[in-house]
Amino acid sequence: MTVDTTMHVSAPGRSAAYLDWLQMLTGAGLILFMWTHMILVSSVILGVGAMDALAYFFEATGMAQVGGPLIGLAFLVHFALAARKVPFRVEQQKIIWKHAKMLHHRDTWLWLVQAGSAMVILLMGSIHMWTVLTDLPISAAKSAARVQQWQWLLFYLVLLPLVELHVGIGFYRIGVKWGFIRRDNRAKGVKSEKVLTIVFVSIGALTLIRFLTLG
Amino acid sequence: MPRNLTFNIFRYNPQDPASVPHMDTFVLGETDSMTLFIALGRIREEQDPSLQFDFCCRAGVCGSCAMVINGRPGLACNTKVKDLPAEITLLPLPFFKLVGDLSVDTGTWFREMYQRVESWVHTERVFDPAQEEERMDNDTANRIYELDRCIECGCCIAACGTARMRKDFLGAAGLNRLARFLIDPRDQRTEREYFELIGNDQGIFGCMGLLACEDVCPKRLPLQDQLGFLRRKMALSVLPWKK
Repeated sequence: MTVDTTMHVSAPGRSAAYLDWLQMLTGAGLILFMWTHMILVSSVILGVGAMDALAYFFEATGMAQVGGPLIGLAFLVHFALAARKVPFRVEQQKIIWKHAKMLHHRDTWLWLVQAGSAMVILLMGSIHMWTVLTDLPISAAKSAARVQQWQWLLFYLVLLPLVELHVGIGFYRIGVKWGFIRRDNRAKGVKSEKVLTIVFVSIGALTLIRFLTLG
Repeated sequence: MPRNLTFNIFRYNPQDPASVPHMDTFVLGETDSMTLFIALGRIREEQDPSLQFDFCCRAGVCGSCAMVINGRPGLACNTKVKDLPAEITLLPLPFFKLVGDLSVDTGTWFREMYQRVESWVHTERVFDPAQEEERMDNDTANRIYELDRCIECGCCIAACGTARMRKDFLGAAGLNRLARFLIDPRDQRTEREYFELIGNDQGIFGCMGLLACEDVCPKRLPLQDQLGFLRRKMALSVLPWKK
């Protein structure tokens, strides 16, 4: 129950719409980046030369030095915007947890996975970006050396599936929220989300295995 | 072989200081074509006359018998027990004010929602009772009717994670209500005026796309499509070249 004690009405503004645009655009941009990033890194499966050549290209054109921090910025902005919807208060967390358990509803659970994975990704993604961007240039040998330390292997075994889940669900949810996934094509949307997540987790797993086996 | 059905039913009377929220168990023999409404009626007649639940039309039209059936909001009158397991748990709809046991007050919320979305045709045209009624093309009339089929049972609101966390969220019922006027050619409100009503986090931009509204609506209203339509419409209306 709310009690209205003011005489005035708040001035209607457009900020909610702009923030929603920005949340969607940073999200969509990060989804595209994550999938591209995974494909580029997986070039190591084709050979060390392939990955190093790609890394050299991004280094020589300045894209790694400029693009890296920009992605970091988009990552933080996306977090700040999406956090407006995430329950940080314990009472809200209790409500949504009980609600999800009561409802047995896939899409409601997916949102909880998205919100929960976001917190881990915020921390681990930041560590990953800092580590890579403060030790440029990227090379297959350096990445392999990192993955061959068990602490880092464990780190990526957690980060990889969480990122791909978050990204896959985000892709589906943008489609739903903005009306691209409708009632008549929802089943297809769910299927694409599942397939994309599985494909990218698999590519990531193969890439990790390749790094582990690099001499 | 008819089953024996076990009903676990939430009991609490907020008017009675001695009442404590708890679950009561009732066992009832299943009969042919039994709906939850019929089962609840029999429990009240045969086992406990103090059991509170709402009903009116018994045909999925009035929306008063909405409750949480094994975790999912739905109508008691159009839920057949043969589609449910032998153990059935019934809870009142969350979000709304509890009247007692399975009965909740959805009316107060819906009335406030009407006021928020200004749920009436806004027009400067003066009504002339002597004139023949203005014609509307059939497609538009059907589209409006499709959204007007909402029976205000409150299932979509009770199933909405956002509404559960944020009580000021308009929810699918409120947004669908506004969409109905937005496509009505008689309503002269501008896009800007609609934006002022729902272009915020309590309105369309608060929707997180969890789709529980779409999945529980007993009337199968096209809620998912309406929410997507409204978000696009409202978000596009603020673009600089749209001013």
